[in-house]
Amino acid sequence: MNLDLERLIGLHDLDVMIADLERKEVQDREKMMGLSPEKAREELIAMRAEYIKNINKRWLGLYNQLTRHYGNAVVPAVAYRCTGCLTRLPTAMCSDPERNDRINTCPTCSRIMYWAE
Amino acid sequence: MEGSPLKYHAYCRFDLEAASRGEALEELLNVVPLNKNSLRLIHGALEMREQAGPTTMTPGIAIPHCRSILVDDLTVVVGRSSAGVPWPEEPVKVMIMFISPVRPDGPHEHLAFISHVASRIRKSPEAVLNAESPDSLLGVLGLEPVHGGVDEP
Repeated sequence: MNLDLERLIGLHDLDVMIADLERKEVQDREKMMGLSPEKAREELIAMRAEYIKNINKRWLGLYNQLTRHYGNAVVPAVAYRCTGCLTRLPTAMCSDPERNDRINTCPTCSRIMYWAE
Repeated sequence: MEGSPLKYHAYCRFDLEAASRGEALEELLNVVPLNKNSLRLIHGALEMREQAGPTTMTPGIAIPHCRSILVDDLTVVVGRSSAGVPWPEEPVKVMIMFISPVRPDGPHEHLAFISHVASRIRKSPEAVLNAESPDSLLGVLGLEPVHGGVDEP
């Protein structure tokens, strides 16, 4: 898998964790379990700042732009469709055995896509 | 959540050999039927969450967790180590690892599962720690085994 694509997926999951820990219901549940969600959130934000230093600026810029616009920048392609906008994707793109070895974006919504293999 | 019609399914590794938290996460993830790239990325997310704050819920029990776009459904793996795994210092004997999918409507499954596990553990942490077989451990936690995903005792 393309290294930048891996890092963007990792960034997406990291951002989901940070966003979850900002939600009161998640904080309440985690506290109920004896965890420290506020501290964990602060630590994750600090980790994010380090993590993005290793991401190609071009892709990071696209990621940030897509996140602002849609809320999610990276989506899986399933059954020849972008799961972000449900557009049917070109067959050539989906059937390429090296499809995860570069960054592909949806021709319609521009979200960054990966294929679960 | 007890008495809920929801049924949670889990894999179980009752014989963990891991000597560290990272190794334990790897052993637990190895039973999940995902490709190596996805497992590696999920391992990274779980490690980051642990580094941000250990998920030790009660002495001897940890709940490593994350949400990821790499899973389609809630994926739960329960592990037990008779020797205990430093987490990162105090030993943990039972790990309830869960990876929740990212859905457009938010972390509802994630929250529901946390509530379920919390209620079971609070009810009897001793029963969780002293379970003598994979089936009894999953039973105490109110989980059903994934077909073919549970170690023989």
